[in-house]
Amino acid sequence: MSTVGDQGADAGGSERDTRPPVSAVVTSLGAAALAALAGTLAAPIGGGVVALSLVAFAAGSLTGSARVLSWGAGIGVVGIAVAAGLGGAVEPLLVAAIALAVAWDVGDHGLSVGEHVGREARTRQNVAVHAGSSLLVGTLSAAVVYGSYLAAAGGQPVTAVALLLFGAVVLASAFR
Amino acid sequence: MTTAVGSGGGDTVDGDGDDTAEGGAGDTAEGGADDAGTERDPLRAFDTGRWVGVTGLAIALVGIGVVLRQPGTVLVGAAGVGYSVYARIGEAEEATLAVSRAVSDRTPEPGDELTVTVRARNTGDEPCLDLRLVDGVPPGLEVIDGPARVATALRPGTDVRLEYTVRASRGEHEWETMTAITRNPSGSRERTTDITTPTRIACTPELSAGSDLPLRDLTTMSNGRVATDVGGSGVEFYATREYRRGDPLKRVDWNRRARTGELATLDLREERAATVILLIDARTEAYVAPTRDADTAVEASVEAAGQAFTALLAAGDRVGIAVVGPRDCWLPPGTGTEHTVRGRETLATDPALAPTPPEDSFYRSLWFRRFQRRIPGNAQVLLFSPLADEYPAALARRLDAYGHLVTVLSPDATVATGGRGAGSGSGTSGPGSETTEPSAETTEPGRLLVALERRERLRDLRKAGIRVMEWDDRSFPVAVANANTRWSR
Repeated sequence: MSTVGDQGADAGGSERDTRPPVSAVVTSLGAAALAALAGTLAAPIGGGVVALSLVAFAAGSLTGSARVLSWGAGIGVVGIAVAAGLGGAVEPLLVAAIALAVAWDVGDHGLSVGEHVGREARTRQNVAVHAGSSLLVGTLSAAVVYGSYLAAAGGQPVTAVALLLFGAVVLASAFR
Repeated sequence: MTTAVGSGGGDTVDGDGDDTAEGGAGDTAEGGADDAGTERDPLRAFDTGRWVGVTGLAIALVGIGVVLRQPGTVLVGAAGVGYSVYARIGEAEEATLAVSRAVSDRTPEPGDELTVTVRARNTGDEPCLDLRLVDGVPPGLEVIDGPARVATALRPGTDVRLEYTVRASRGEHEWETMTAITRNPSGSRERTTDITTPTRIACTPELSAGSDLPLRDLTTMSNGRVATDVGGSGVEFYATREYRRGDPLKRVDWNRRARTGELATLDLREERAATVILLIDARTEAYVAPTRDADTAVEASVEAAGQAFTALLAAGDRVGIAVVGPRDCWLPPGTGTEHTVRGRETLATDPALAPTPPEDSFYRSLWFRRFQRRIPGNAQVLLFSPLADEYPAALARRLDAYGHLVTVLSPDATVATGGRGAGSGSGTSGPGSETTEPSAETTEPGRLLVALERRERLRDLRKAGIRVMEWDDRSFPVAVANANTRWSR
């Protein structure tokens, strides 16, 4: 004997599946795998650490915990930093970084979509657009960074990048 | 045929012949709605906090890279700055949508499956990259196919179609506001917009003819069918008495006259009509169901009351309807076709008998005083209640003490009906529940306890001389038939 008072606001009272949509989870894990692969190419130990973030992303998507996803992203960043510290090549590192960002972004986006509309609803287009714009932003910014790195390759790369960063921070503050 | 009952520009703009806009269904349907979209109420945008820390992380990486002279770390950090810029651009705009909602049938029968088609068109100038729509399905309707939700992205001028199926239940249902959640591309800002597209359906069940309901012998002075202990004209022998001048010759006992020479008059049992109030328990406590997705006891009560209503009216009794609950509902006793229709409307769509529990609080003494003022002195009461708490039993005893003969009809919400076959079996054994073993499904301790408490209440009522009938799982006619054979007048 159960009182049915608390079913009101939900869609008719039947249980809703609030897990993130499959498309988001698959995209997120695929991107994380790519990040791990690129990290391994840069430096195997770093790649191994990045692979740990894949596990965290899977766990976060499964349990619906944004916190676990954030931890996953943190572990991934540490992995990339380790790979860079071990003298990994710049190109695979950038690829790993973008893939990691996309993996976290899509995974976290999937959580909120799952919370709002559920797993059974149509979400593919929404997830695709979000993943696409995230990838686009990553690619563009990596291209700009990598371009200036190549341009400044003969001189002082670190100084050039630091200057570039200063410009970017000014730009970012201007948007506030 | 599809009937568009929604409002808004969607009807007028889509122009795909199958939607016919119902005049006056919505107030935004008038001119100028084309580009403005459906009436909406945007809430303030807020930070989702998704990208918090990305700037710090990026700068930290660059810093570490510069200090340790590692170009890789610097580049990764610098690329991260791109995301921090991304997170700051764009605002979650309000959803400028033209929404139309079409329901396949506006006056369904209970249990019908209705297809609801919602169409939302982006009437703004900007693309909406992240849009989540949650339709405000009325709480009384159950969505049985496809969630009434969708997440998508809409370019200006494009639309999204959302189709789902609901099962109609008794009552009047109005769709609540549709919730549109928009985010900026990075998802760092979010805004909720309430979109008002009123749609209303009314689901009025036909009152199924019930079987003859046993009434108790408290009657009015009008002729009817309840046999009384009053001698007079009728068909059944009641007594003989001394002849009095003016008695109809038809009723003189000529046999006795022939035998003894005395004149005597036959008294026949008078049959009179009763005034009956169907009192339905619709307090929050009465909204109980055996399982989470089963119909509530109120639903069962209303259905049974409908059957009793037609049966009693057909037998010539005067029937009224009242509700025990925070919302007021009173249909004075009456007869006739118009009264039948009114009763049907009341049982189907009165807000006091809504399929979902009321939110207001219930004041017992106020309610009782009002009810007492209204109820005719010679009225019987049929109290429909699941007896899930002590109050209905106390109410029955109190009404009984005030001189109204009370019959309690109680849908059993403590039996989890595993299968329909088992349900009807336990239904017939219902009235003699004092000797019935708890059925196999009532194994959970809580359920068992509630069932025992309820049984105890039934027993107390019977001890107090109040007739009690219980049934479960749609076996009301069976239970009535059983009670008819068991109860003596």
